[in-house]
Amino acid sequence: MLIRSIHRVRSVGLGEATTWQDGELTVSAEEAQALLSAPCLADVRVTWASPGDAVRIVKVLDVVEPRTKGQGGGGIFPGWLDGPPVDGPTHILRGAAVVVAGYLPRAQEAVIDMTGPAAELSPFGATHNLVIEFTPAPDADWAEVDDVLRRGSLALASRLAETALDTPPDEEETVPDPGEVDGLPRIGAITNLQTQGVFKDVFVRGASFNGLEPALIDPAELDDGAVVSGQYGHPSLRNPTWVHQNHPVVNALRARHGVDLAFAGVVLAPEPVSASEKARISIAAAQLCAEAGFEAVILTKEGGGNADADVALKMDALEDLGIATVGLFAEMAGPDGTGPPIVVAPERATAMVSTGNYDTRLSLPEMDRALGGDELALLRVPATSAMELPTAVILASLSPLGWGRLTCSPAA
Amino acid sequence: MARIVHYLNQFFIGAGGEDAAASPPSSQPGPVGPGRRLAQLLGDDHEIVATVSCGDDDAAGRPEAVAEIVALIQEARPDLVVTGPAFTSGRYGLACARVAAAAKVAGLNSVAAMHPDNPGLDEAGGAPVIASGEAARLMGPALDTLAVAVRKLLAGEVLTTADGLVGLAPRQPRMADRNAAERAVDLALARLGGDREATEVPLPRFDKVTPAPPVTDLATATVAILTEGALVPDDNPGGLESARATRWLRYSLAGREELTPGEWRSVHGGFSTVWANADPHRILPLDAARQLEREGAIGHLHEEFLVTAGNGTSVANARRFGVEWAADLRHSGARAAILTAT
Repeated sequence: MLIRSIHRVRSVGLGEATTWQDGELTVSAEEAQALLSAPCLADVRVTWASPGDAVRIVKVLDVVEPRTKGQGGGGIFPGWLDGPPVDGPTHILRGAAVVVAGYLPRAQEAVIDMTGPAAELSPFGATHNLVIEFTPAPDADWAEVDDVLRRGSLALASRLAETALDTPPDEEETVPDPGEVDGLPRIGAITNLQTQGVFKDVFVRGASFNGLEPALIDPAELDDGAVVSGQYGHPSLRNPTWVHQNHPVVNALRARHGVDLAFAGVVLAPEPVSASEKARISIAAAQLCAEAGFEAVILTKEGGGNADADVALKMDALEDLGIATVGLFAEMAGPDGTGPPIVVAPERATAMVSTGNYDTRLSLPEMDRALGGDELALLRVPATSAMELPTAVILASLSPLGWGRLTCSPAA
Repeated sequence: MARIVHYLNQFFIGAGGEDAAASPPSSQPGPVGPGRRLAQLLGDDHEIVATVSCGDDDAAGRPEAVAEIVALIQEARPDLVVTGPAFTSGRYGLACARVAAAAKVAGLNSVAAMHPDNPGLDEAGGAPVIASGEAARLMGPALDTLAVAVRKLLAGEVLTTADGLVGLAPRQPRMADRNAAERAVDLALARLGGDREATEVPLPRFDKVTPAPPVTDLATATVAILTEGALVPDDNPGGLESARATRWLRYSLAGREELTPGEWRSVHGGFSTVWANADPHRILPLDAARQLEREGAIGHLHEEFLVTAGNGTSVANARRFGVEWAADLRHSGARAAILTAT
């Protein structure tokens, strides 16, 4: 049984040493830079961006919530950090996030606004963000840069949470394990991970999930960082590490475990590239759910229209086995909402939740500062300027894992 | 007396089939073809004062065509513009929808008629679209429905689904009370309870595409190569988007035997373009196509290629590109096309 020790971050700053006191998180930029030091990086910069600041963060790669179970991580982010496992609560700096931002090839440019209409659409418009900017060394290998940033940001997230290990938490949450409850329907989750190669990959316990089979995972492992994102595709439709750590579907099922359902567990599934593999993996995932005794499944995706196929095929495969299925989709209905909402629809399953329209235009205000880059490459305009952008560009705004409240309904 | 202008394609005015598909916009007085039956149904207080027509390839494939058609319509000073019925015909449906939409923008009252699966449906803009059957054999009932809708529109009434009005109500974004995950749990419980209707996303209508019959004389046919792999000249002069494309572009292959690395680049945002850029033939197989041309396996390679980026492209835009490409290729004499996908 997982216990979350939640320490609420009320203010942040930079200072001589990395400390946690009375809700204030102070970070030593020097220590943060040391954790990200590598020959392939010429320079690393560390800046805070807080809710309400007139700041736009562009070229966002991944976002991580500071968590640890002990010195050196205590087993958090398995496969990435080497601290010995600790059997104890997971300490969480709730309200803070480590954000990596800067140019990587193949990354589709993602934006976080700390104020204005986009702020409430992203989980990271409401967190104090420690933004890591970087300059690669001349001739650095991009894949190595990506790897160093990932390892460094995970180590930094763990290090930040370590400061709170000896402090009483603001709240303690006991999280139920999946299991049977007499008379209640067993509902589980399938979490599709978009695993399509370098810069579009997701890691499970430190290794790429690309090419692997669907597998059950202890949901407590998700809280402890077993799933780490290296997926830099569609900004609004990717699942940063922070969202896996706070898996909204898993948390929604846990919240009602023993009330009106029994939380039955989580299956991770890859999203392969080829149509035949998508079909094969869908059948394999559905079989696994049947063997695990799921009576209903909530199915989530990662990625654009291509990934709608993975959801649609799995929904049908599950319904064919008699398992009731709900799929989460973002709509791609065009700027005025008149186009067909999804790209690939299930043929037999019917129950779908909408996480909003990818193409809805947002008018974003001018900002005082930009982090992650000086230019919004997408529009070739200064990153601080007022601009109109589709919701598609705002990080996790159409969260496939169900974080957001955005949805669509027919006009009256 | 209400003045109506009717828009029809080349086929329905009796000018010919595909052989006349390139014919330019034209106008003639009074009702023609199905317009005669429509005029009968509408009765004495309505008059079809003119019939404007255009070939399908010209109307759907040449950007200036719609404005020219609307100019001809305006000359007849109509109270209402009626386009179609276009049934499931893609180019015709697109033309009917665009003419109705452009007429609306020009301040004219308008209505289009077509099957709900017609790709034109998404292009009708502010103009209402009335459902028709799938094919011209259903002209009779299509005109019955259309005539009722025309009378209502001219009487200033608002059309509803009961009048055959089709097209999804636009999807509008809003903030729900709870997050999507919590709503999904509710929906799962409803679904377990046997509710098969509950959903937040209506099932989209997708076209069932019937493949064209095989080309029997490939050795004399002009064959085009097309791609959604976003291969463009290195400096991307047309500004093709890497994602959410709103346009397609054309580039010449005339006199070109191969695609030199460095001169061409894929700007596609959905996959690693390293291997595409190292050898652009991996996206657009010009080398293989030229070889087939030399061997006589195909008559000629079409002298330009059409390109867009298939990455987060809305279905509505993708449909429009498809119809425009078909019209463009027919117009230029291509008989077959190979579309590479990434």
